[in-house]
Amino acid sequence: MSETRIYQELVKIVGSKNISNDPKVLEEYSEDLSFFPKKKPKYVIWPRNRNQIQKTIKLANSLNFSIIPVSSSSGPRHHGDTIPRNNNSIVLNLSKLKKIINIDRKNRVVMIEPGVSFGELIPHLYKKGLKILTPLHPRSSKSVLTAALEREPIIIPRYMWDSSDPLLCTEVFFGNGELFKTGTAAGPGSIKQQKKSGQAQVNPMGPTQFSPFRLIQGAQGSIGIVTWATLKLELVPSIQKVFHLQSENIEELLDFQYELLKYRLCDELLIVNNLNLACLIKEDSSEILQLANSLAMWNLIFVISGRDQLANDKIDYLEGDIHDIMKEKKLKLSNNKSKINKDDILKFLNQADANPWRLRLNGGCQDIFFISNYEKITEFIALVENQIANNLGIYIQPINQGTSYHCEFDIYYNPNNQEEALYVKEKFMKTSIDLMNSGAFFNRPYGLWAKEVYERHEDSTYRALKKVKRIFDPNNVLNPGVLCFDD
Amino acid sequence: MVLEKDIFKEFEDIVGIGNIDDGEVITNVYAYNWCMEIFNYMEGKEPIPFSPIPKAVVLPSSTVEVQQIVKLCNKYRIVFKAQSTGLGPWNQPSTDNSIIIDLRRMNKIVKIDEKNLYAVIEPYVSGSQLQVEIMKYGLNCHMPGAGPQVSPLASATSMNGPGFTSPSTGHSARNVLAVEWVLPDGEIMKLGAYGLKNNPDFFHGDGPGPSLRGIMRGWAGTKSGLGVFTKVAVKLFPYPCSTEYSVKGYSPNYDFEIPEFMKLYVMDCGNFKKLETVMLRVEEQEISFMCSYLSGFAVMAIFSNSIESLMDKIAIGQMKAPLVVIIAARTQREFYYKQKVMDFLLKKFKIKNIIGKIYTPNPTFYAEALRSNLGLHGFIATGGFQSTKGVADTANVCLRSTKSNIPLKKGFIKQGVIVNDFGEGTWMTSYESGHYFHMESPTMFDQTTEQSVSGMAEYMEKSNQLDLLKHLGAPFFVEGTRMHELFGPHMSNYHIWLRKIKEIFDPNNISDSGFYITPQNK
Repeated sequence: MSETRIYQELVKIVGSKNISNDPKVLEEYSEDLSFFPKKKPKYVIWPRNRNQIQKTIKLANSLNFSIIPVSSSSGPRHHGDTIPRNNNSIVLNLSKLKKIINIDRKNRVVMIEPGVSFGELIPHLYKKGLKILTPLHPRSSKSVLTAALEREPIIIPRYMWDSSDPLLCTEVFFGNGELFKTGTAAGPGSIKQQKKSGQAQVNPMGPTQFSPFRLIQGAQGSIGIVTWATLKLELVPSIQKVFHLQSENIEELLDFQYELLKYRLCDELLIVNNLNLACLIKEDSSEILQLANSLAMWNLIFVISGRDQLANDKIDYLEGDIHDIMKEKKLKLSNNKSKINKDDILKFLNQADANPWRLRLNGGCQDIFFISNYEKITEFIALVENQIANNLGIYIQPINQGTSYHCEFDIYYNPNNQEEALYVKEKFMKTSIDLMNSGAFFNRPYGLWAKEVYERHEDSTYRALKKVKRIFDPNNVLNPGVLCFDD
Repeated sequence: MVLEKDIFKEFEDIVGIGNIDDGEVITNVYAYNWCMEIFNYMEGKEPIPFSPIPKAVVLPSSTVEVQQIVKLCNKYRIVFKAQSTGLGPWNQPSTDNSIIIDLRRMNKIVKIDEKNLYAVIEPYVSGSQLQVEIMKYGLNCHMPGAGPQVSPLASATSMNGPGFTSPSTGHSARNVLAVEWVLPDGEIMKLGAYGLKNNPDFFHGDGPGPSLRGIMRGWAGTKSGLGVFTKVAVKLFPYPCSTEYSVKGYSPNYDFEIPEFMKLYVMDCGNFKKLETVMLRVEEQEISFMCSYLSGFAVMAIFSNSIESLMDKIAIGQMKAPLVVIIAARTQREFYYKQKVMDFLLKKFKIKNIIGKIYTPNPTFYAEALRSNLGLHGFIATGGFQSTKGVADTANVCLRSTKSNIPLKKGFIKQGVIVNDFGEGTWMTSYESGHYFHMESPTMFDQTTEQSVSGMAEYMEKSNQLDLLKHLGAPFFVEGTRMHELFGPHMSNYHIWLRKIKEIFDPNNISDSGFYITPQNK
């Protein structure tokens, strides 16, 4: 099928103002901050509604081109999952779908479109006494829905009842263009009828005997295109008390955070090394390095909080119980030794920022992340530290109520320095592969990792995923080539 | 129908002599189950408590044996139905060209991972066995409403999964980590980190990439319609109070020492509107171990062990909108704080706790609450009960569903086919500190009379139709082709996708589809 025909048909669907083949625009989508090989899409389109999305998918099925969905309006992309793999790809940019459809205080849920960013949503919710469960200090322009679809770890592990949280129900177009709703949103009845009967699409499970939202999540846009989703909210506390404990020994902090999590004593909870904490607090390189040098190697950050009339009573009980645990464990950690203003910590825990914290030190970052159990964290840290001596940020995030840990290693570098970039590229893949060989579970296999990850996983997984892809995207039009969908 | 001798021998070679039986006695016993009569009636069959009789029962002792059995079933086109603790009709084969895979020899707690807060279990480990072991680490598990005697693996992978402690322990489907699963074609699938070739472990169940938990189950499980689950890792939770557990006496009159920091509240909210407000506020405070709305009759039942003891509680049965809350704490500070919150809410909403004033339950109640053993009280009045409804979304839709069901149920009570609970019989619980709710309507009937069985079945059908008509969510028991084809067109045509999953993962339709969905051509 000729390119002209595809272009003409797309113009009919989205209008000439919402399609581009401007080389500058295409160039922008041809690469990201990862080392994944560059390739330009044919066009970029900005649909305005779900009908246009559906027509585009159906067109792709009939004219045999590929669709790569993206959601964030601007800002850097990181992991190679939106770079075209074949010559016949278009980018479907969902950033114009940016309605906050419904904020429901009573049922603690929000329904949003994919273009809604953290920078927009957080203040909106705050006014209503609500908060979204966020990844660590997200970029303001980052799509909230994409973060949830990509299973980015959230910073309050006790609220992560399932590794899929905070994602609840979705409206999705599968690869053949058919519309579907997952969870209780499926029905009986339309969303309007469900609302009339008092429902709020808060149960992600189902419909009935399968949970397709789990197939869409983590799929890098290769199973379906989500047009709205409901996300779980929590109430904004009236008091937040920040703890910043430092140690040269991460095992001491890991042991203590385990107790905090086991008994559900705190909200936000994470461990970062000195460099990452400094990147989260400061914006300027020299200030980052200065602060990092003044901190202990390992930093445990946690927050206890209370709400309403009995907020102080809750803080007293939590503080008392935490103090008892520290006494029992003979921990000599002190919250008073921190030189960091607690408001600065709350800022990065509660807010989004236009300046991505991972790019503040040197302008570039390659992040290696995976899931580990408790015992292997220190082994993985030693492995990475052995290979990357400088400019290494480390972030350990307990997830899923303490049943596993997101381990992240941020290699900071200057991307404009070719020699440095080449060195990092080599280190990035070698270290990643060494980690995989040591049992690190790369459960979000982006870009260059994908092939390596699936080779180290049971073949039955690969075969089952291909069957799933065949069911929901029979003509392989949605982001072909990602994950194990390489044919 | 029995297995041909050669085929019997092939199965026997897999599991060993004595671990397969095709005798009339054994196969007939396996054809019986509680509530089978209702499902038979609903399928237009004779309302007897027997399913088709399986050709044989095989008892594997390992995943490899399960795999070999499944492969043999594919070879000879014999349907298999897997079961563990085996409660209810969902364990029954839908055809006599079937064998039962009874997993009772796979009964090990494979691992208790204290530091990563999960346990790995085989199919025949019961909830009570698991709980006793993990209490040693100050941990607790989620148990389904069916009780501590059933298999947590079955609940997590294959069945439903609401429980009385759901406010603090969630739902079985959401507590699943890694899984070992024999697919209908005999391939062994290991979900999540357990599928790693280097250092496989159970701490995570999703990925790499999309989570295959999405086809494994939904709000409900596939009930052996999509393979056999041989191991599952389930999340563990902090035990809510001291793990000292002192019980004396003989069944059913035990004496239990109530743990130091545990308190029960039973409050009449007067009406559903206020009940919803109070329930949401209690749950927002994240203080409850258990938080359920139970109809007056159901409150009477959870405190009773016999019809006689049920009847002497008429006074508490007159509450219009009772809310049952248990708070429990590990430390005195935590307990004082939780009590203070409850005191504050009681005062704010002008409601009273009847416990210790109007009624004081036997201490055994607290033991049953900790053991999630309250469901058994549904059997007290007639020896038989089943639930209708099963919506799970907001508190509001649950209460609407409850309300709309009352006149319908009263009609059947009037006919004398089900027990008179004033039409209100309901259990509704919060999940995950009030993030969602579910309700069901337990109904007592007489399994021994055809009139009562058919009445109960007709009531269930009408209740399903009401849910469809009023958009009150999908009930629990939307399973089996007939129900999927009834509900699917009203629910995003999900049945078409579900059927595609069945067809592609079970090309020979060997994993019993009776409580799942049949392929298109069957």
